[in-house]
Amino acid sequence: MVSLSSFLFLSFVLFLTGLMLVLGRKSIIFVLIGLELILNAAALNFVAYSRFVTEKLDGHLFALFIIVIAAAEAAVALALAIRFYQLKETTHLDELSELKH
Amino acid sequence: MDYSFWNIAPIILFPLGAFVINAFVGCKLYRKGDFISVGAIFASFLYALRIFKDVIVDQHSKDFYVHKVFTWFDLSVGDFPFKIDMGFYIDSMTATMLLMVTGVATLIHLFSTFYMAGDAKYGKFFVFLSLFTSAMLALVLSDNLLSIFIFWELMGFCSYSLIGFYVEKEAAGNASIKAFMTTRVGDVLFLLGILAIYNIVGSISIVDIYSALAMGSFEGQSVIGVSALTFIAVCLFGGTIGKSAQFPLQVWLPDAMMGPTPCSALIHAATMVAAGVYLSLRMYPVMVAGGITDFIALIGVITAFGAATIALIQTDIKAVLAFSTISQLGYMVMGIGVGAYNPSFMHLITHAVFKACLFLAAGSVIHSLHDHHTHGHVQEMPRMGGLRKKMPYTFLAMLCCTLAISGVPLFSGFVSKDRILGDALYFGMVHPHKWMMIVPVLGFITAGLTAFYMFRMLFLTFFGAPRDEEVYNHCHKEHFSFTQNFPLLLLSLFTLGVVYSGSLTGLGKINIPVVGKEWFSTLITMPKVEDFTQREKVKMMDSHLPEKFETSHYHVHEASEMTHEEHVLHKAHSIGAITSIIIAFLGIFFAYLMYISKGLNPAKWESAFSCWNKALKERYYFDHFYEKILIGKGLHGFNNALAWFDLNVYDRYVIDGWEIIAKKIYLGLSWFDMKIVDAIVDLSGTIIRFFNVTLRTMQTGRIQFYFVVLFLALSGYMLLTRI
Repeated sequence: MVSLSSFLFLSFVLFLTGLMLVLGRKSIIFVLIGLELILNAAALNFVAYSRFVTEKLDGHLFALFIIVIAAAEAAVALALAIRFYQLKETTHLDELSELKH
Repeated sequence: MDYSFWNIAPIILFPLGAFVINAFVGCKLYRKGDFISVGAIFASFLYALRIFKDVIVDQHSKDFYVHKVFTWFDLSVGDFPFKIDMGFYIDSMTATMLLMVTGVATLIHLFSTFYMAGDAKYGKFFVFLSLFTSAMLALVLSDNLLSIFIFWELMGFCSYSLIGFYVEKEAAGNASIKAFMTTRVGDVLFLLGILAIYNIVGSISIVDIYSALAMGSFEGQSVIGVSALTFIAVCLFGGTIGKSAQFPLQVWLPDAMMGPTPCSALIHAATMVAAGVYLSLRMYPVMVAGGITDFIALIGVITAFGAATIALIQTDIKAVLAFSTISQLGYMVMGIGVGAYNPSFMHLITHAVFKACLFLAAGSVIHSLHDHHTHGHVQEMPRMGGLRKKMPYTFLAMLCCTLAISGVPLFSGFVSKDRILGDALYFGMVHPHKWMMIVPVLGFITAGLTAFYMFRMLFLTFFGAPRDEEVYNHCHKEHFSFTQNFPLLLLSLFTLGVVYSGSLTGLGKINIPVVGKEWFSTLITMPKVEDFTQREKVKMMDSHLPEKFETSHYHVHEASEMTHEEHVLHKAHSIGAITSIIIAFLGIFFAYLMYISKGLNPAKWESAFSCWNKALKERYYFDHFYEKILIGKGLHGFNNALAWFDLNVYDRYVIDGWEIIAKKIYLGLSWFDMKIVDAIVDLSGTIIRFFNVTLRTMQTGRIQFYFVVLFLALSGYMLLTRI
């Protein structure tokens, strides 16, 4: 029997990995991968809590929503990344400092 | 049959759906979507037929009812209940009305495809026709006064749009406004009545009102100094006066003839004006408890007599029918007043059928007569005549209906009107005030006048030599066409008394043809309020009925020993029947003498009664009174007085007086602005500049730095809220 805490631990590891990627890597692609990991950690939490605590399907529903939203977000973000590459010919995030001005 | 939601609601939803479809995409469809409207109303008719068969034939009990409710809204706060339920209420009367409305409406829709063909606004006509029909059906199915009022107003709106259908004619626009504003007077009273009822009963459902009556909730209540029941009864009857064009609000109906003829048939003859009578019938116990039945009888008979006299001299074929409608509605209202509940409802049904047919026949005549100078249709009877040979089918239908409305035996009008007159005679005989005999006397005279003016119309239109050769020659010979003649002939089949009475001599007992059960007078009876205290409501979406109804054992009680009252009633009915037959034939005979054999000269009679004739031409000066005196003198004067008050008192002293005060306030405020508000503004500028410098250094432009800030802020927030 896998317990709730092991799910939470896995989700924590996923979240930390995602956070590391987002904060540490300089390539926009890895940052996006990190974001996906964070979302999946959240989805895993939802499912785990709904399985062990509420015992209803509402958490599953949220997980489905998260998957859909992640897909939509990925589509937009990848489009932005491609455009970014076309403009700067690099994926290095430090080049993207237009927000400063 | 189970009365689930989906067995009842489609009656309303089909025409409503047709309205929605035709309103939005109708003009793009084949034939502008008329087949949708016709098909929808025919589908409603089939559903209504199913309900009719189940309620009348299968259940066959005067106590049978289906009452389905849902809560529209519930805003109750503590001890202050404010909850409105809506729902369906079906009993024998509803089932009969549904069948009549859908049946007549189907045929009128069908006729409209002929009559309106080629019209520029062909599609729009069917849009309103569908909306109107669904509103009428919803009104009939309503279980409470509020939804009756809502659909009542919706019909008022459709009526307004259809009267003003040819809006390019100024008269049509004016007539539609007149109809709308005149009925509004009655509607305001109706709404007041509903509010008073809600205030006392706490519910507006018809059944709850009945049981409140039975339990005496109205005892000792009063509204603005009069007994609550009288107030409510007068208000509700005010609604009837407006909608059913009773004296003194009858002025709108003749003008409503500006609309296309099929809409006159549907709205201003068969259904909408019947809604007023239907309301009074439903609220009959309130009328009786309010003690205004004598008043109702008087209003009814005045309307019936007055409108019949005006109809005597009309020359426009539709105007004759309009006044005859008012007159027949007067009969129904008189029937309510004298306690002829069942005959009055029966007259509503028979009148709806034969008046719809009369209007359609008139439409058929008007449609085939062209005036080549104005390129319009001819409605004036002095330009008609001799059309019998050219339009045989229309003539046949018109003849049947004219016989029916005149009260000739074997036809439906006799069956219903005769019973109203018999009850009116009984009412007059037993009434403590002898002068109330005026009700039956005027009623009988009106019956004669009705026969006279209807046959005058028939003779002027179809008999004799054509009076306008050019119009006559351009009229095409009528060949049987499905859309033009089938509705007429089918409707005229239903003017035969045997359809209603079930026997050739039967007086108002309606048998179901195949089953042979007598139903009209056993199933549709005055509601006894005591029976309504225990009634059970069903949730809207449930399909089961509250209890199983046994096939009833209601029989007309055996003619054992008649009490004195029954004896008088019986006598009154016999006298009434014989008198009304004689009077009807007298009326027809006079019409024959004047317009066929020329034994009497109409012009001579007109000059003999010249003074009265003038009053009739002016429609008893009602329009003049409302327009010139009530509005011209009264309301305009009031309006001008208000305008003067506005200009000279309010403007001069109140508005200009403000100026001085405002100046003082302004000076005080400007000092406050300079010294205090400005200082605060400067201070905020300083603060913003300080933060500006601090925050600018944080704007590195590095996305990941922002991530870190975001993450730290979120974690900090989480930690803080946890602690």
